[in-house]
Amino acid sequence: MKRLFLLMLIGCFVVAGGLLALAQEEEIVEFYVRCWARPPMESWRGDNIVLAVAELNADLEAAGDPRRVEVNLVQDDPRDWGKYATEFLLAYGVGEAPDIWLTGHEHIGVQAEAGRIIALDELMKEFPGFNNVIDSLWDSTSYKGEIWGVPQDAEARPLYFNKALLKELGWSANKIAALPGKIEEGEFTLYDMLAVAKEAVDKGVVADGNGFWTRPKNGHDFTALYYAFGGETIDTATGKLVFDEAAGLKYYQFFYDAAQNYGSMSCLHGDWSLWHGTITDGKVLFWVGGTWQWAEWAEEYFKELGGEAYLWENWGFGLIPAAEKGGKPNSLTHPLVYTISSQCEHPDLALALIDKVTDYGPNTRHAIASNHMGVLKDQTEYKFYKTSRMLSEALYMLAYTTFLPNNPNWGAYATITYEALAAAVGGDLTPQEAVDFVVESLQRELGDKVIIR
Amino acid sequence: MKKVSKPERGIHPLSGLFRERNLFLRVRGILLPYGFLAPSLIIVLLFFFIPLVMVFILSFTNLDMTNFGILEWWRPANWNLNNYVKIFTNRFFPKILGNTAMYTALTLAFFNMGMALVIALITTHINRRAGFAFRALWLLPRLTPVVVYIMMWKALAGPAPMGVINSIFGPLGIGSGEYLLNMSPWVFIILVNGFIGASFGIIIFSAAIEAIPKDYLIASKVDGATTWQTIRYVTIPMIKWPLLFVTTYQTLSLLTSFEYIMLLTDGGPGLYQTEVWALTAYHRALSSYFGNIQWGYGSAWAVILVIIGIVMAIVYLRVFKFGELVEEPKIDRL
Repeated sequence: MKRLFLLMLIGCFVVAGGLLALAQEEEIVEFYVRCWARPPMESWRGDNIVLAVAELNADLEAAGDPRRVEVNLVQDDPRDWGKYATEFLLAYGVGEAPDIWLTGHEHIGVQAEAGRIIALDELMKEFPGFNNVIDSLWDSTSYKGEIWGVPQDAEARPLYFNKALLKELGWSANKIAALPGKIEEGEFTLYDMLAVAKEAVDKGVVADGNGFWTRPKNGHDFTALYYAFGGETIDTATGKLVFDEAAGLKYYQFFYDAAQNYGSMSCLHGDWSLWHGTITDGKVLFWVGGTWQWAEWAEEYFKELGGEAYLWENWGFGLIPAAEKGGKPNSLTHPLVYTISSQCEHPDLALALIDKVTDYGPNTRHAIASNHMGVLKDQTEYKFYKTSRMLSEALYMLAYTTFLPNNPNWGAYATITYEALAAAVGGDLTPQEAVDFVVESLQRELGDKVIIR
Repeated sequence: MKKVSKPERGIHPLSGLFRERNLFLRVRGILLPYGFLAPSLIIVLLFFFIPLVMVFILSFTNLDMTNFGILEWWRPANWNLNNYVKIFTNRFFPKILGNTAMYTALTLAFFNMGMALVIALITTHINRRAGFAFRALWLLPRLTPVVVYIMMWKALAGPAPMGVINSIFGPLGIGSGEYLLNMSPWVFIILVNGFIGASFGIIIFSAAIEAIPKDYLIASKVDGATTWQTIRYVTIPMIKWPLLFVTTYQTLSLLTSFEYIMLLTDGGPGLYQTEVWALTAYHRALSSYFGNIQWGYGSAWAVILVIIGIVMAIVYLRVFKFGELVEEPKIDRL
């Protein structure tokens, strides 16, 4: 009887031990990952994370960590950063924020200030792989001396030109080929570009208004042009936003002139499909776009004509020209960054996943598919990265790149400065009135959070 | 003399019970209508009144993306009039107000009232089945999902060679082949809203016209009235109540509607060219490219719109002499 009891007791221990072990194995950590991604070109932003899960779980098993990760990925193209940020905010409000949130680096200021995302400095020390990220890109993810996100990609925002239309204007193939170099050397300025645009309108090569275009609505690109005129957006000493009146006047004068005197800027209609349609129909001479759009145009508009090969034949690109002869041209990069919500219960695992995708293979996959720049040191030497002609040819632009500032009030600043621009383009405000409007509105909305110079 | 006490009149052994029952019936009679009203009352309270109070309070705060979850917006200490000052000192305030007035007045005059009345009059004076079929056809835009409807209009207004209008009239030398929505945005906005809005008036007016006793119309014809005189002196006065209702309802509806404009032009092209008040409230409170969502500021825009709506409704009630319209017929008072 005693023996039977002993056997039963041992059996119970074995079963309990087995159950305990099983229970340890089944500690599932469920992550929600939210990515801004335009499929299919940008799908690797989220898909890379899904692929990394198996690798991370293998690492956890080898390390004897009972946790296992499962990922629920939500990725699409909301087309509006405001809606995207609001979605995160409201999800956070009800305690359901995504654990990993991929967003524009300029949102870090707002979210960090409100405590909705976490600083990563301490956690990152356990992942030396992050040392491979290009040093300057960490500036875009820093706020108040701490790092709040991991760069996922970068890009250039070039000035595109239509080669066929330049030929119609009488430009030789050599002259067209030399244009990016002349822009880089500061010999071809923004007003030189407007002069060519005007000539194209006068000769009937393009319709009035189609000489030079920016994006059709408020967005990042305009800041690059403000920088071109010597504008500043942030005071490094105080971290406050800055509006430079003298640079602002030149900036608004340029857009006023473009619209009123140089047959340009009939593009602020807010309709992206019309914008793409008109450009891909070959009706615009110069326009500012992004390197990622190269892939979009090839895939969605010129696939039947040969995709990228057709684009290389008919379109070209260079930096955004300098404002004055001999000046420095520029570009603007808007790195998307992986951030971790402060509601995430396992931030170490979330960061481990981000570490897995911040590697040459996954990052290059995304770079090639979407024509975004890689974020890793020496990535240009990586075998597969070199296969993309666009990435190789646009690489030099990173040396001229600029960023948006990381400041919680950037949204209000960008909206006000754009309103003035749209009013100058529409002829509602003169350049000086536009500057006055910006100064008055910034002071009213932001008070001492903005410095007027 | 012995006084014989009379039994108390009307007291019955069961009278107490009856009294209680009567009381119960009286109370029930009073409460029952409220019981029936309760579901809608609760819905109105939950989904209109409470949100309205919240929006009203929010309009005095600076709640936005930067302080959401931090600012205690419900505390009076955080309330001020800054948002209202910002609105009234906004350089584009007159433009947005003017856009709203123009959009509401033109859509109401030409379509929601004007065209609706004309079509109702025509379709009630022709063959009944044909009239019914025409009115049913006019309902199609209202039955079409908004996004599909707007896509159709965008296709109509598109640049040559894809745009339908440009393709049809281009060969005749009409139009420049450009995107018509950019060239004449207000024309399209009023047309898009008007075609939908007119269907509401058409239904109400035709039902009202059909309900006019035929004797009046026959009598007017016997008296030698022309069709115009019949409409002017018999039909219109007899549908005054539906006219008031549609005018008031559609004015308020137009003042607060923005979804068609948002999908069609989103307030553009350019700066605030077609931005109306409700769209501004939406843009400020719920949609901004860089994410500077300003719930407090947007709420202030919305509150002013509510006040404008209430004022307009009162004006209409006075102009149309609402009191006279709802008072008992004089013949019944005799």
